[in-house]
Amino acid sequence: MATQDWPQKDRKLFSELLQAYESKTLLKGRKTADQILKKYPDHGETMCMKGLIMVHLGEREEGKALAHQGMLKNPTSNIVWHVWALIQKGERNFPEALKAYSVALKTDKDNFNIIRETSILQSHTRQYEALVESRLRMLQLRPYARAHWVGLGLAYKLQGNLAEANRVFTHLEAFLRSIPVRDPEYGELILFHIRILEEMGELQQALTLLDTNAKERRLVDRPAIVEFRDSAQKAEWTTSAEQSWRELIDQNNDCYDYYKGLLANSDIDLNNLTEASREKALQILGEFSAKKANAPQRLALTVAEGNARHTSETFKERVKPYLEHALRKGIPSLFSDIKGLYAKSEFKRQAIEEIVENIRSSEEATSPQPSSEPTYYLWTLYFLAQHYSYLQQYEKALGILDTALKHTPTLPELHMTKARVFKRAGDPYRAVQSMDEARKLDGQDRFVNTKSGKYRLRAGMLNEAEEVFGMFTRKGAATPGADLVEMQALHYLTEVANASERTGKLNIALKRCYQIRKVFESFRDDQYDFHQYSIRKSILNPYTAMLQWEDNLRSHPAYIHAAVLAARIWVMLFDDPTLANTIQQPEKATELSKKALNKAKKAAARKATAESTSQDNDDTSKQKAQSKIEDKGLDAPLAKEDDPDGLKLVVSDQKLEQAHEFLGTVVESGRDRVDVFVALFDVAIRRKQYLQAARALRRAHMLDAQHPEVHLRIVHFSREGQCRSTQYKSILDESLAVVKPAELTLEALNSQYLQLHSTSPPVILACAKVSQTLDASRNDVENILFTALGEDVKLTMKDALSILSHLQNLKSPRADEFRIACDAKYKLSTVFKSAEEQAALRLQCIEPLKDNEVETIF
Amino acid sequence: MNIRAARVEDLAGMQACNLHNLPENYTMKYYLYHAMTWPSLSYVAEDHKGRIVGYILAKMEEPEEPLDGSPPAEPLHGHVTSISVLRSYRRLGVAKKLMVQSQEAMANVYNAAFVSLHVRKSNRAALSLYRDTLAFTVKSIEEKYYADGEDAYAMQLSFKQ
Repeated sequence: MATQDWPQKDRKLFSELLQAYESKTLLKGRKTADQILKKYPDHGETMCMKGLIMVHLGEREEGKALAHQGMLKNPTSNIVWHVWALIQKGERNFPEALKAYSVALKTDKDNFNIIRETSILQSHTRQYEALVESRLRMLQLRPYARAHWVGLGLAYKLQGNLAEANRVFTHLEAFLRSIPVRDPEYGELILFHIRILEEMGELQQALTLLDTNAKERRLVDRPAIVEFRDSAQKAEWTTSAEQSWRELIDQNNDCYDYYKGLLANSDIDLNNLTEASREKALQILGEFSAKKANAPQRLALTVAEGNARHTSETFKERVKPYLEHALRKGIPSLFSDIKGLYAKSEFKRQAIEEIVENIRSSEEATSPQPSSEPTYYLWTLYFLAQHYSYLQQYEKALGILDTALKHTPTLPELHMTKARVFKRAGDPYRAVQSMDEARKLDGQDRFVNTKSGKYRLRAGMLNEAEEVFGMFTRKGAATPGADLVEMQALHYLTEVANASERTGKLNIALKRCYQIRKVFESFRDDQYDFHQYSIRKSILNPYTAMLQWEDNLRSHPAYIHAAVLAARIWVMLFDDPTLANTIQQPEKATELSKKALNKAKKAAARKATAESTSQDNDDTSKQKAQSKIEDKGLDAPLAKEDDPDGLKLVVSDQKLEQAHEFLGTVVESGRDRVDVFVALFDVAIRRKQYLQAARALRRAHMLDAQHPEVHLRIVHFSREGQCRSTQYKSILDESLAVVKPAELTLEALNSQYLQLHSTSPPVILACAKVSQTLDASRNDVENILFTALGEDVKLTMKDALSILSHLQNLKSPRADEFRIACDAKYKLSTVFKSAEEQAALRLQCIEPLKDNEVETIF
Repeated sequence: MNIRAARVEDLAGMQACNLHNLPENYTMKYYLYHAMTWPSLSYVAEDHKGRIVGYILAKMEEPEEPLDGSPPAEPLHGHVTSISVLRSYRRLGVAKKLMVQSQEAMANVYNAAFVSLHVRKSNRAALSLYRDTLAFTVKSIEEKYYADGEDAYAMQLSFKQ
């Protein structure tokens, strides 16, 4: 029996139920629902309402099931669909919610609230055609509200219908008469309209709108005005533009864009300088150099000709006072500021070295009574140390740092640089030690603390790193890492993932990759509330920029890296099923490392207690208020973390499927990255998806045909092809022909490739691996690998380590020979010491924190 | 060093910079809220590679209007939510430059009467920057302002000459 046929008393009861929900008197609502259901146990709408109330009360699963039952009983009711949409939205299942609202609208097409909710979901899922329809309907229903005009104009803009968008905003501006001057939100509305006109190519109209509103003081954001005017004028030279740029520089004389704007106005393109325009640029920049600004002086150093022949003195004359000034002031970033010049000009590098070395000698000549401030000498040494470290002259850099440390042993920067030199020279353990020295000299600075943690991770000391990070993480968090995860610390997650993978803790590495993914998913969800908010505020340029940013999130390097690393780990776990079981064994941590972890946990617990006592009062009063009825809202609570270290994750029986799914999210955004397509190939070929594998291989080959990882996959694909199914044989043969000449045997392909790049260590490694799969003797494989030690090969430590670890995997008797040769080759390095030696170094390099050290920080 | 208004694409870099420098951290949504509401108040400093090495995250405090129609107790003013510069880029005056740009926008775009901020009682370096270099004054001490129980100085700088 439908509600309208009920006796009046019962109908009243049902409307009481609706009211109870509206006013969130949830317990009363549930009681009323039960009362109705006693009489009409099959009443779908009541079942749905009760289900919805149960979700609010925290009985999510039961409530959802009841609502679903109700929906089946009465699928034509709009209440039923509205309820279902609310529940789906709470679970962030936006497409499903949108579908439910659309059904509800069919029988209730003028329900404003439902249309509004629909429009939000359409913005969220980028269904702009449908959004325009919703927005039109909203405006028809409520034509007098400014927000609905703004919403329609925005919808047209998003849909790409600029002419209609322009019409809406023109109309809106005409009837908004009583706008106070200096209303920032109205100003933003005008800026959005100007952007639309600009995109339409209506530059004159855009300029008129800009100037009228600026004159009437409705637009007051000066930087925004000039920047918009510039783009509207498309760099046509005008005196007024020149004047505007100069005014902006007056306001912010460290903004590169303003100088570029000013120079462009004089027809100077910094990326494409001629002799004449170079001189003119230097002259214009020179006008500003007298002021306190750094930007024009630094820009002039880039612009000034860096070659020995003609204007060489110009550069030297300019750079000398620049360096002297910064060294006297003790600016720690001078080297990072300057080193950009090195890459482009050997001449500039030498000139700088000469100048700073001269300062050093003249300061040393006048000691013990230095001619100037003692810090001048100190910062000069600091600069030179970084300079030589950059040039890979590590011993020289360390020597200079030792002199500097004798001079001032308490400057953390010196220890930090020392750490950096050790790290680059291949000694991660002394790097840890030096960074710890720096940290201890400035315990209040989180930056040094972060570095110290990061260096420990680089040295494979995961627990010890956690201990250091924990000095600055939030007190209530379960572990220091948990706080960093909650705070979306991508740098931390990435470093831990890498360090865990290097040390074989694949579970942790994999887990961190998925946590990185979660961070990006939460960025994605963050936009939801702004679809409505930004229209109400009429601040739309930042909003449309946000939509674009959201749509590009998956091209963030940290995201792509996580996807590729996760796929690589899944493949490792698939290829060697015993790995997952070894991981399940309790970790044999060293005594020290275990102690470090316990201490970090204890410190976190201590802080948690401290925090909960200090907030006790708050909590109890809150609890009292909530003890009556607790409305938990509609949003599904975050799932509890029941697998923080990924131990359950690694035993998944869907390894390749999971890898495939994660990689699927970066196929578009990573379309120009070889590593993405190599990973796709590796997963596809193991899943026996040969067409996918062929596609991935062809893409990788197109991106970089000579890449060693691509070479490996070509061979893999050819060999797998010999026994593959015949279904797609012709297509697969065709793909193979694209990446490998048909007449070549794999042996010939391999030796040709090696010959072509015989001095490239990654190629040497790839070819050795191929020879091995082609059944070459171990001796032959070893011989190939040992060519990496040849004199004409530029072997980086990273490549040497990959080759060493491959020899070790082969159980080659010559692995130690290779290791010892590298150990001798890289004088300062310790990464080529034996495993036992490195274990000892790891133990020595950190002093365990004193028990009170953690607390004294706070 | 390039000093310019912050854009949406900068927010992740600002968040990373904040996490490296300060113990008070925020999730992305809070950064977005600032960018979507007061787009001209936040500024960044970027190095030659476009990496964010310093930022100021700022907002307006809308004074609550009393129900009886009397004027609000406090005038409209700006508030610095967070400001920091990577250690390796300090002593260049970057924090001051960021602060000045944001203040200019507070006064110019939003007609703010003053700007306020909180600083840890123990953070001498920051205190000296605000008080000595930027002419802020301490208005009051807010007890146990920070989650770890530390007190904060509430500081202000008036825009009226």
